[in-house]
Amino acid sequence: MKRLIVEVCVCPECVMMGAMDIIEAIESLKKLKTQLRLNTQVQVITKSCIGEPKHGDDSPVVVINGDRLVCANSQTVMEKIISLKAKDVKH
Amino acid sequence: MRGIYTPVTKLRRQVFAQIAEFAYRNEEYAAFEEIPYKIIKGEVATYRDSIFKERAIIGERLRLAMGLSLRKVDEHMPVAKGIEECAKPEKYYEPPLVNVIPFACNACPETSLMVTDNCRGCLAHPCVSVCPVKAVSFENGKSHIDQDKCVRCGRCKDVCPYSAIVKYERPCAAACGVDAIESDYLGRAKINYDKCVSCGMCIVNCPFGAIADKSQIYQLIRAIMDGQEVVAEIAPAFVGQFGPLATPDKVKDALKELGFSAVYEVAIGADIGAMAEADHYVNHVGKDLPFLATSCCPSWSVMAKNNFPDLAGCVSEALTPMVATARIIKKEHPDAKVVFIGPCAAKKLEASRRSVRSDVDFVITFEELMGMFVAKGIDFGSVDTEPMDDATGAGRGYAVAGGVADAIANCIKEKYPDVEVKVDRAEGLRNCKKMLQIAKAGKRNGYLLEGMACPGGCVGGAGTVIPINKASAAVKSFQTKAGSSIAYDSKYADEKIEE
Repeated sequence: MKRLIVEVCVCPECVMMGAMDIIEAIESLKKLKTQLRLNTQVQVITKSCIGEPKHGDDSPVVVINGDRLVCANSQTVMEKIISLKAKDVKH
Repeated sequence: MRGIYTPVTKLRRQVFAQIAEFAYRNEEYAAFEEIPYKIIKGEVATYRDSIFKERAIIGERLRLAMGLSLRKVDEHMPVAKGIEECAKPEKYYEPPLVNVIPFACNACPETSLMVTDNCRGCLAHPCVSVCPVKAVSFENGKSHIDQDKCVRCGRCKDVCPYSAIVKYERPCAAACGVDAIESDYLGRAKINYDKCVSCGMCIVNCPFGAIADKSQIYQLIRAIMDGQEVVAEIAPAFVGQFGPLATPDKVKDALKELGFSAVYEVAIGADIGAMAEADHYVNHVGKDLPFLATSCCPSWSVMAKNNFPDLAGCVSEALTPMVATARIIKKEHPDAKVVFIGPCAAKKLEASRRSVRSDVDFVITFEELMGMFVAKGIDFGSVDTEPMDDATGAGRGYAVAGGVADAIANCIKEKYPDVEVKVDRAEGLRNCKKMLQIAKAGKRNGYLLEGMACPGGCVGGAGTVIPINKASAAVKSFQTKAGSSIAYDSKYADEKIEE
């Protein structure tokens, strides 16, 4: 089974702008395994931007398979995960 | 809608963060007029039909967040009008707490049953047969509902094989368990303050973000900046609210970094309340009281007293956890101001009630506190750790529906092993009302009744940040980390608190 790593920043700014709801949305994809023909295991890692400058208008920040998504929301993150499962995913 | 992050949530939180920043910078009042332009940028509308309207609505939200009243639409008034009155390091509150911003309201029609395009005009058309008032007829091969005759029973909706009939409800009115949402002359939502118990459910359920409550963050921040001794008491639902990095210990440190001189768990007061209500149950229920209703949720207890005046005596008179904890704080820090930080809109009102000496100076919500963390640039990874260990698992469980009754029942089991306690509980004011109707009919005699105005309990309150299921899980795990799960083991168990 393929594995996909999704890093979600959970600094106060990102949590305020809905980071926890993004995590909820990613986890909700498990329930749609049949509909989405999802054979990828999605692993969520929560991180904080320690050492990085403030995100400001970029919050929330999500990194999927190395790609940095700014102003992320459930919609863009779920779409990105689904689009990646079709392509090659790093193991 | 509830528990889903939407643009409405985003705007509400941006307003809190901006107000906190405005307070921390101690800026000139003129800078207040610029905040709508910081939140709504550019010259193209994103959320509504016009960017001018978007900024005007943000202006109203900013006023409410400052504690100011809404402006009159038909009078010229700058956004910052009246700010010198409220911009002080002490509580500023003018009723009403919950406000509909009229020009943000979409004037959704009131409850009705409507036939949608799904109607196939079937031969059976059971919708016509089941209508008790002959409101459903067949017109041009499709079902038609005469709105004047319709009594909104919903039978046609239930029976349609194509799900073609929908019940249309205003989200604010559907969320309101006390039917306090009425309409103004333009069909916009209007709150009947005689009925409203300020639970805040309409605030978080309006898809147009037209309803908001007043806040006290500006005044609180000014009090801290003023060098006053301010002590925080944080409600048990706080666990997990600020993200996975913000463990309870780190939240305590972060609050100290914000300038609070001490931090207490409100679960202390919950422990005390559980013990008091256990005694009350054993000594009175079945004797001079038919049943005992819990008192910790202010919306529930006010609703019970308003709607069932003859049952008012059955609502426990134990101090609420907020007030009990505040009294302990005032004992240990006589000159301090006390801030209650919770998930709840109604606590703002409870603290302002003149009949009760609440000892609480400010009330803010988790969402508002989040705005303070962001404005101050608090980083949970960097703060040092001082343990949060004031309360027992019983008090900590008050945050989740069922937890209050559990805590009290466990106390009764421990202290009065021979007494058998029967428990019923309800979440959401509509269900709470049903429970009381059953109790009024005499079918809950000998019971302990737990009422929670918000679905899910306090973790589902209007001022929360994270999804309800995540919050309940976090609270439960923090409960097990307490040294004991029974309120009698609280280190404040012998504390004498004057009523």
